[in-house]
Amino acid sequence: MIEARNLSKVYADLHRGPFVALDGLSFSAKAGEVYGLLGPNGAGKTTALRILSTVLQPTGGTAIINGFDVVTQPSQVRAHIGFMSANTAVYDRMTAWEMVEYFGKLYGIEDERLRERMELLFDRLQMQEIRDLLGAKMSTGMKQKVSIARAIVHDPPVLIFDEATNGLDVLVARSLLEAVAELRDQGKCIIFSTHIMREAERLCHRVAIVHHGRLLAEGEISELREKHSQHDLEDLFFDLIRANEQRLAAGATAG
Amino acid sequence: MQLKNVKLIYLREMRDQLRDRRTLFLIAVLPLLLYPLLGTSFFQLTQFLQKVEARVLVVGTRQLRGADWLPPLIQDNRFDLKLFDQPEWHEKIELFSPRDFPELADDLRKGRSLPVPGAAPEASADEAAFDAAAKELLDSGKVEAVLVFPNGFEERLSDVRRALVEREAADATAFPEPIILYNSADDKSQVTQLRVEQILRRWRNEVTAENLTASNVPVEATTPFELRPRDMAQMQQRQAAVWSKVLPFFVFIWALTGAFYPAVDLCAGEKERGTLETLLTSPALRREIVWGKLLTVMTFSVVTAILNLGSLGMTGKFVIDNLSKSGAFGQAAEAMSMPPLTSLLWLSVALVPISALFSALCLACAAFARSTKEGQYYLMPIMLVTMPLMMLPMSPGVELNLGNSFIPVTGMVLLLRSVIEGQYALVLKFVAPVMAVTLACCLLAIRWAEEQFNRESVLFRESERLELGRWLVHLVRDRQATPSFAQAALCVAIILITQFFVSLSAGMAGDFDFAFLAKALLVSQLACIFAPSMLMTIMLTREPAKTLLLERTPRWSHLLAMVALALALHPVVVAGANQITKIYPVPEATEQIAESIGSALDGAPHWLLALALMSLLPAVCEELAFRGFILSGFRHVGHKWWAIALSAVAFGLVHTFLHQKISATMMGMVIGYIAVQTESIWPCILLHTVHNSLQLSAHKLAQAVEANPESPLAFLLGGEAPLLYRTSTVLICAAVAAAILWSLHGVRYSRTAEEQLEEARQRSDSPLLGA
Repeated sequence: MIEARNLSKVYADLHRGPFVALDGLSFSAKAGEVYGLLGPNGAGKTTALRILSTVLQPTGGTAIINGFDVVTQPSQVRAHIGFMSANTAVYDRMTAWEMVEYFGKLYGIEDERLRERMELLFDRLQMQEIRDLLGAKMSTGMKQKVSIARAIVHDPPVLIFDEATNGLDVLVARSLLEAVAELRDQGKCIIFSTHIMREAERLCHRVAIVHHGRLLAEGEISELREKHSQHDLEDLFFDLIRANEQRLAAGATAG
Repeated sequence: MQLKNVKLIYLREMRDQLRDRRTLFLIAVLPLLLYPLLGTSFFQLTQFLQKVEARVLVVGTRQLRGADWLPPLIQDNRFDLKLFDQPEWHEKIELFSPRDFPELADDLRKGRSLPVPGAAPEASADEAAFDAAAKELLDSGKVEAVLVFPNGFEERLSDVRRALVEREAADATAFPEPIILYNSADDKSQVTQLRVEQILRRWRNEVTAENLTASNVPVEATTPFELRPRDMAQMQQRQAAVWSKVLPFFVFIWALTGAFYPAVDLCAGEKERGTLETLLTSPALRREIVWGKLLTVMTFSVVTAILNLGSLGMTGKFVIDNLSKSGAFGQAAEAMSMPPLTSLLWLSVALVPISALFSALCLACAAFARSTKEGQYYLMPIMLVTMPLMMLPMSPGVELNLGNSFIPVTGMVLLLRSVIEGQYALVLKFVAPVMAVTLACCLLAIRWAEEQFNRESVLFRESERLELGRWLVHLVRDRQATPSFAQAALCVAIILITQFFVSLSAGMAGDFDFAFLAKALLVSQLACIFAPSMLMTIMLTREPAKTLLLERTPRWSHLLAMVALALALHPVVVAGANQITKIYPVPEATEQIAESIGSALDGAPHWLLALALMSLLPAVCEELAFRGFILSGFRHVGHKWWAIALSAVAFGLVHTFLHQKISATMMGMVIGYIAVQTESIWPCILLHTVHNSLQLSAHKLAQAVEANPESPLAFLLGGEAPLLYRTSTVLICAAVAAAILWSLHGVRYSRTAEEQLEEARQRSDSPLLGA
């Protein structure tokens, strides 16, 4: 479903020289699972996910989503994914219904089917009260519901969540996680990035730990725990990060 | 690209903008209120202006009252009514005498003893006193002008009369003249002075007429005939002439400002609000997003222009009607009237392409901006570029001709002006170039906007600190194999600028001979074209050979094909040039220069040298520059035809004369195509050289054939309609040329990374048909 092959992204920065955001990242995710992308801030998670959603172009490598290449077949890819991040906002002057309808039409769903689907969604996500509420007047939780509805209106097989719980309170965050779990149970392939370990533990079966654009560890959570003899995912995470930083420092002095 | 998506995006953006009450107010309601408000203020102002009076102090009228043969000048503190062209001024000019200003009366009366001009200029105390008194009156605004009749004036008039009546010679001594004192720094004083001068002139004519009648000389002695100009322009034409200069300018300004603010909001504003990323993850193509937003901006541009025009029109009609009723401006108000309906119709039609152009331009700048703040700053540069282009047609002497029709906005304004004036034949001739240029600029701007929507650094508002030193080092240290698009564009700019400065500093030669021509060509080719492009190649590219297309050895078949192509293209090019000259004749100045170049070439020591100078040198320099460095850079745009077209236009711009520019651009397309397909510069140089040589030699050979009808070339070039240039030959040659070019079509050539990506996408990324 999602297959990242050697994704690289290098930025030319006048000060830092060529800045490597992603360095040969490879992973894959299957249908019916939530694949976690863990890492501290600046690890390259957002960059990787933006590449998967075709908003950015990789400087090396590629990714295949549902059989379509993100570099050469971007609009096909976008037709089959739903993307939600802390940055994807809602339009101030559109109502919830209008916004979801707009994106539904962009995804090419015919009017009658779209209306049915939207009624279903609005019921399931309990959005009936905010149907005619303008974006500017919505609370954070309401905006997030609209974003979810917008991302799944076309029933995509692949879903990408980029730190979607950023800035949300506990209640709202929990309801988001429940929604994601439900989608997983429906058989979607979901990739979920976060820096909060509890979320990953709750939701994900397999994870990838990323630091400075490189993959440090990858696999099922239980396997990783065994391999690194660490039960707590957070401690495991710290160990790996620290080891990597030491390695980088050693490399810098040696090289 | 799916129109359905464009329509969706367009409708959403329109609905979004219309829900913003403040925007609506600014765009729709404000103009409807503003112009009537302005009109009312203007109207009240004119009413106020009408109350202006003019007060004139007159000194020394007593002597005039004595002579009863003089036609009346002053009656009851007003000038005589007969002396005015516009009767309403009779009441406005009020006359005073020194008696009315008691404090200054003594000093003022001294004006009567002002010395005669030409006499010894000793400033007497009396004069000084008078001057001071008069200046005080003028400065304080108590009077607007002072009219002095010095002592002896009436005597002089009587002398002249007597001399005329009794046919005696009069003494030609200096005699006193009336003096008008006024204050030129004050508008009212100036106007009054002019009026008084007019009145006195009229009076002088009456005195002359009186004298002539008294001496039995016909009045026509002084004016044997009058000249009466008669205006053949119909009222409509006159009105059209006024409106044709003013209307297009205003309408275009409204279209520009109406396009700018929505554009900034739709692009930069959306980036700031975070909704752009959402839109970019939908299946909508970047192109569809740009077109949807473009249509929105265009709608606002057109509506703004129409609303402003309508509101101004209503107000104007009201003001003009009332002005002519009150007779305030007299004849001027009659000449002004509402623009004819046909002009307004044409204006609305022309509004579409011009607002398309402005909208595309504003959208491109707005897409480039990273925030609304930055976007707002771009209004100034856009204005600075487009205003001169819009104002240029308002200068006298700028008219619709071939050269001007190629200038982007100016051509449109000139075209519109000609349409309003009803010169449809002229318009038909130039519609094609103007529309082509406008369309090309639109597409270029749209392409640029699309590019901005793909550039990550612009999308995600990463800021940079500008450090010039580091940036320059980075340019050289991190240079790529071939130049970037921007570097190629910069090269074009540098070439044009260098040419401009060289042409300014080059003086006119004493002798336009071969040596001068050689020097001029060497400088312009080597310094302006060869040097910049070579320097940039060395400094900014890692693989100069690849950039300059010197890597591959050309195939012999290609080289031979080029010679054949040059031969085949020659009649076609000549026929084409003739057609163009028929429709758009070559100006005389250009022909003269062409002739002098021809005669300079005749003076060459050896004809091969002349050919080398005019063919080989430009071929090498221009090909290395335009098909080497510049084309390699432009090819990073991702479509080979866009790259070829842009390099051809640049190539055309570099030539001096307009007709040369046109044929150079077309030739540039052909040579560019060959450069891309054969991947080598040598065929290009060969084609260019042979083509230029043929152009030069054809004329020579034709002359030789005329001189010697027996020569072997006679059958090609001889006679009134030479075989070489007949339509049948031209068609056959065109077919041959097309065949040669087509044979290159299937050649395998290497593509740039961007072109490969585009082709991969074209192949596999078809629009989706339902989720």
